[in-house]
Amino acid sequence: MADKQHIRNFCIIAHIDHGKSTLADRLMECTGQVSERDMEAQLLDSMDIERERGITIKLAPVRMFYKADDGEEYELNLIDTPGHVDFTYEVSRSLAACEGAVLIVDATQGVEAQTLANVYLALENNLEILPVINKIDLASARPDEAKKEIEEVIGLDASYAPLVSAKEGTNIREVLEDVIKYFPAPAGDENAPLRALIFDSYYDNYKGVILFVRIKDGRVKAGDRVKTFRSEKIYEVTETGAFNPSPVPKDGLSAGEVGYIAASIKSITDVAVGDTVTGAAEPAAEPLPGYKKVQSVVFCGIYPLDGSKFGDLKEALLKLQLNDASLLFEPDTSQALGFGFRCGFLGLLHMEIIQERIEREFGLDIITTAPSVSYKVVKTDGEELFVDNPSHLPPASEIEHMEEPIVKADIYSPPDYLGQIMDLCREKRGVFLQMTYLDKSRVRLEYDLPLNEIIFDFFDAVKSRTRGYASFDYELKGYERSKLVKLDILLNGEVCDALSMIVHEDSAYPRGRTLCENLKEAIPRQLFEVPVQAAVGGKIIARETVKAMRKDVLAKCYGGDITRKKKLLEKQKEGKKRMRQIGNVEVPSEVFMQILKTNKD
Amino acid sequence: MAGIYVHIPFCESKCRYCDFASFPDKIYYAESYMACVYREMAMRREELKDLSFDTLYIGGGTPSVIDERYIAMLVAAVKKNFRLSADAEITIEINPGTVSAGKIAVYSACGINRYSVGLQSALDSQLKELGRIHGLRQFLNCAELLKGKNFSADVMIGLKDQTAADVIKTIEVAAEAGASHISMYALTPEEGTPIYTDYLNGELPDGDEVADLYEAGVKRLEELGFGRYEVSNFCKKGMESRHNMNYWRRGEYMGFGVSASSCINNVRLTNTFDLDEYFKCILSGHLAVIDREEVDEAGRKEEFIMLALRTSRGLDTAEYRELFGSDFLKEQAAAIEKMSEYIEFRGNFMRIKDKYLFVQNSIITEFLQS
Repeated sequence: MADKQHIRNFCIIAHIDHGKSTLADRLMECTGQVSERDMEAQLLDSMDIERERGITIKLAPVRMFYKADDGEEYELNLIDTPGHVDFTYEVSRSLAACEGAVLIVDATQGVEAQTLANVYLALENNLEILPVINKIDLASARPDEAKKEIEEVIGLDASYAPLVSAKEGTNIREVLEDVIKYFPAPAGDENAPLRALIFDSYYDNYKGVILFVRIKDGRVKAGDRVKTFRSEKIYEVTETGAFNPSPVPKDGLSAGEVGYIAASIKSITDVAVGDTVTGAAEPAAEPLPGYKKVQSVVFCGIYPLDGSKFGDLKEALLKLQLNDASLLFEPDTSQALGFGFRCGFLGLLHMEIIQERIEREFGLDIITTAPSVSYKVVKTDGEELFVDNPSHLPPASEIEHMEEPIVKADIYSPPDYLGQIMDLCREKRGVFLQMTYLDKSRVRLEYDLPLNEIIFDFFDAVKSRTRGYASFDYELKGYERSKLVKLDILLNGEVCDALSMIVHEDSAYPRGRTLCENLKEAIPRQLFEVPVQAAVGGKIIARETVKAMRKDVLAKCYGGDITRKKKLLEKQKEGKKRMRQIGNVEVPSEVFMQILKTNKD
Repeated sequence: MAGIYVHIPFCESKCRYCDFASFPDKIYYAESYMACVYREMAMRREELKDLSFDTLYIGGGTPSVIDERYIAMLVAAVKKNFRLSADAEITIEINPGTVSAGKIAVYSACGINRYSVGLQSALDSQLKELGRIHGLRQFLNCAELLKGKNFSADVMIGLKDQTAADVIKTIEVAAEAGASHISMYALTPEEGTPIYTDYLNGELPDGDEVADLYEAGVKRLEELGFGRYEVSNFCKKGMESRHNMNYWRRGEYMGFGVSASSCINNVRLTNTFDLDEYFKCILSGHLAVIDREEVDEAGRKEEFIMLALRTSRGLDTAEYRELFGSDFLKEQAAAIEKMSEYIEFRGNFMRIKDKYLFVQNSIITEFLQS
């Protein structure tokens, strides 16, 4: 086992697409962790979604052994981190387990918004930062400018930054040497009582919950009796190990090391990421500082398409929450969609990823409502409450005023697209704050924008109006008073709660009209005429009509047709089962999905 | 009640909408084919010896395209092998382009007493569009040959560019020519047929337009004294097709020939759709069944309901109790309540209101269990 002086725990931070996963792969290859033959592109991105979208969502640890130029062998623990703004929480988790961070900057693009956010996060965690200039193989690489930007924008000395090409494997050893040279060995006392920070976990069907830990103090091995600070339940450790990058058993872990602990933990609600594992017999006095409690920013309802799968959906959410503590959910019922959950997410991408993982990893068909934000409602009696579900809004007569969440958005763009971006922000009710020329080719625009306006398609709109040149980052600023109304959709006179939404007064009419038009197309014709109406506070503002069905018949049905026609009718009946009943109107679940999707503008 | 169906899979040419087993290029097989059909009957003889049949229906394809002697022999073979009642309804489908006085005389002599004539449209342009081999003139000639006989005419709605006036004209032509029965079908574009392309291209009338044509047709038919007894079938008083009524009452029937199906003792059988395979099976002494389905009680109820609700008289709750030993009104209380707008009761019968017969699937599915 390596002594502490020969261990380095570090992570890689970078803007999306700057080559983080590729560099991680190269480091593993260079240390002989995986033979080139076994290399599958981007080893650490193990989820299908990650590979397909080319992004890292989950952090993934890996242990490498490296024989340095000084002749000594070092144990390097790399914890890969996600790059997207929505996953800041994941990043902070991995940062807490490291002493150093390799900061990748794309030699062709320089410092990006996300780079900054993560650097600040790393600095907050007292991490050493090693800048690395990547993609120097590209013709458009401008490493000197990138270095200058690092020094000017971030304030880091970049003169010693290795110039690498992760893609081609250039100068990879230099990075490893610098990791050993610049990053401190882990502190911590091997002889003190055990304190291990849980930075991730997942559920294994045979071994129970597997905890990913960074041992801060003490040591742990199979047979030890341990507990966590939160639950007080005592478990016997059945296995310890390291990441290779797949988990490999290893006898014992001690201070400074990164690895996993299995302890036949059956209930996934008993352990929480951010908690501290300690010895049952000789517990440490204090837990390690945990993580910042996450704040959900975007909300949506998730319902099983097949109502009987509610239990499965709950199980899926619990399992996902096990290694994504930022996912929040609580049971909810909707007249239109049945039993399901109201879920809170860190952002839109986070929401999409969770929805996709539920469908893929758990094979569940789900239906999701339009994303919403949490509004502050000040009632006439002075009471304040937060409402993220339009159907929980108090009656209009009891509302004194409402406030909506506002974000401060930074948009980085070449100057050519300023006009388009400003138009977009104006459409989205943005308030211009200031504009800064970072250099000749890059401008930073700062805006206050209602979160509600950017949760749909703002990011896509920014990209499409600037041909992909602009990038966008935001942080929650606070709540501001706003003229908000509840927009209801009525089918045959009945309010359809799944389609209710809180919107700005000015957009109620166009939204209502579009919704009615879309619904008219999407709702199958019934035996009777169905009026589709949009209403604000009981006042109808738009109307369409779904005409009564006129033909629904199998023209012929003689001897040879009976079986086939019976099957057709049974299929039709089967389809009806997937319908939701709104009053006496039958609406296929898919319609909600379709409407909620097309509801984007 | 029980019926026999015989399928004659030959035609002069295939119509553009046709999805039936018919082989225009193999008409020279007719003699061998008919021999196999007689043999198939002989193979079933023992099994069906206790059943008595009230109807025989010779369909296709175009039964009138093959030599009339085969048809006469066919009727004889049925009578020889099975118990066909003396007053049985014996129907043959004929194409106006393939008949002659001689043929009708032979048919008549062998005991055929009902003719189903494929008119489809009174407009030559539409007939051509459908790929029919006859025109209006041939139909009128055919009707002349059938003078004094009981015949039905098929009328199609939902044709390309068809107007309500076209439908009415066709109905009037059929009535004028002496039909006692008219079947008015909505064209169903089946995948794989040439007309399906027209459908995909949006050239055929949509559901609303077909509903308009249907309503116009029903109105004219009723004015001319043709009462609706099933969603697509209309007749002068007492002239219902007994053979088809048997299907809708979920009676037993035996089918012979390529693609024919049977339902005997709650077992549904379907013969092969492949002519060569049919020959091979029969000649080697085997039945040509490719599909066998035993219908359980739930299935029998579903069939009974879906078939009965096609008819104007509706579902006989007394018969339901007799067949299944349970009370339809209780069993279906929820559906009856939900569909109360669209159904009505007449004595023991529950029927779909006239106005809603053309949207019956949505109503019937409410009554299907499971």
